[in-house]
Amino acid sequence: MKTVGNVSALVVAGVGLVGLAALSLAVGDARLSFAQIWDGLLRRDEFAATIVWSIRMPRLLVGLLVGAALSASGLVMQAYFRNGLASPGLLGVSAGGAAGAVVAIGCGLAAVSLLTVPLFAVAGALAATGAVILLARRGASTERLLLAGVALNALLGAVTSYVLSAHTLTYERNAQILFWLIGGLEDRTWEHVWMAAPIVPAALWLLPLGRPMDLLSLGAEEAQSLGVDVRRLRRRLLGLSTVLTALATAVAGTVGFVGLVVPHILRLLVGPEHRALVPLSLVAGAAFVVGCDLAGRAAGDLRLGIVTALVGGPFFLWLLRRDER
Amino acid sequence: MSAQGKGGGGAALALALENVSVPGRLHELSLEVGAGKMVGLVGPNGSGKSTLLAVAAGLLPSVAPGVVRWAGEAVAGIPGLERGRRTAWVPQEARFEFGFSVRSVVGQGRYAHGDDGAGVAEALERFGLGRIAERAVDRLSGGERHRVLLARAWATGAALQLWDEPLAALDPRHGLETLMLGRELTRAGRTLVFSLHDLRVAHCLDEVVVLHEGRLRAAGAPEKVLTPELLREVFGVTARVEPGLTLFL
Repeated sequence: MKTVGNVSALVVAGVGLVGLAALSLAVGDARLSFAQIWDGLLRRDEFAATIVWSIRMPRLLVGLLVGAALSASGLVMQAYFRNGLASPGLLGVSAGGAAGAVVAIGCGLAAVSLLTVPLFAVAGALAATGAVILLARRGASTERLLLAGVALNALLGAVTSYVLSAHTLTYERNAQILFWLIGGLEDRTWEHVWMAAPIVPAALWLLPLGRPMDLLSLGAEEAQSLGVDVRRLRRRLLGLSTVLTALATAVAGTVGFVGLVVPHILRLLVGPEHRALVPLSLVAGAAFVVGCDLAGRAAGDLRLGIVTALVGGPFFLWLLRRDER
Repeated sequence: MSAQGKGGGGAALALALENVSVPGRLHELSLEVGAGKMVGLVGPNGSGKSTLLAVAAGLLPSVAPGVVRWAGEAVAGIPGLERGRRTAWVPQEARFEFGFSVRSVVGQGRYAHGDDGAGVAEALERFGLGRIAERAVDRLSGGERHRVLLARAWATGAALQLWDEPLAALDPRHGLETLMLGRELTRAGRTLVFSLHDLRVAHCLDEVVVLHEGRLRAAGAPEKVLTPELLREVFGVTARVEPGLTLFL
């Protein structure tokens, strides 16, 4: 049911995003006033500038990119599988990205180039996506889709843990495993921002696909008969959603439920039309992740992945219950 | 092979299937449908009606050397968007995962026309959906959902309309209205091919095509095709055929 106009929803999400981003720059261990933050942003205060530009800005930007990517990726998967419960975390695509990234790190390839980790993450996520498609055909029942995701998540989580166990020193092993299995935005640097930067063109490429996504989400054959080049659209959607998830995972580990919660709330607010949902999911997803990160920091350094799971887990259960009726 | 379209040497074929095969479902089937005809596709469950419609719509490929032509042109060579303008296909099942409004789904019929919205309001009225145009399609009854799909096909304005069991889910009144709307389409020069089970309807069609085990068993004017002998052979039932009515005994 449409209760809010699309443009006003986009404006609200945008304003919320800017507000949360400003807060995210302002809040942290080092207590700085808004005036000092402003001076830091303009590099008029060297101390504040270091805090803002070296620590908080990369964390904020990685958060924005990760949120936009995961949220849009979930939206795309829901249209693709014609199932409102599909999302990168539940289907194991995030876990595939994490496993790929960890393999690159474990084999010592991360130092070779800035591109290695994201490329391996994309490869891992693609493998997971391929497996999901084999296990649960399009339009598959929720049960089948989710069971395939459970199996993949367990398997890929084990791969990630094994590789880290075999290649890291004992004392940092647990921290590393934790980072990849429950993602977070701690200690993110500009390097991570650049790694995740291709999220921007991938997201822009998604924008014109909203209308054909409407048709696809009601059935592939119907869409084809109405003039959509379904094969090409599907290839593009799957490629983009996989790359988006993989890049997000490569810089922040597996952050669950973003791709499930954000599109669902947006659908409740503005209806199911993808021309509105695609841009909204990018903006609102970014705001959601930055907001969750802020909440986690306020609650005493709770990791991002824990906060999104705390929000998303109950939400998911509520959706399952509602779907049963 | 069904009779060609009406009058004169220039009578065009709206749809032609030449030696079309789909493994396990259709066997070297050939069929011609003249422009402006209302054609019913009958046959027992599993006889290949849905497959035939999907192949005719260009959604399912035929094994070589089978060819599907729309107005003489091989479908394989027609680009996707143009296909959407020329042919409309209505599936047998009306399933919606997301809560699009009725108006929005009917509007999808204009996708291949750049979403111009032309004729959408009229299609909604024609199929009795005006009152529920803003309702979410995933909350509708089965019959209402079918009418949404039919209205969407109508809104495309396509010259060739292929409907898979449009009447099965409809109550008698809406079934009759749908038949009348189909007749209106063919009067305007469009062509309608649809599958059906209720043979009492067959006599208001121009032609009937009988499928049996993936093969064309008979085609032509209903009163010529639907003989008691054929009905017994194809459907395994005893029937009495009177002018304008087929009754099963």
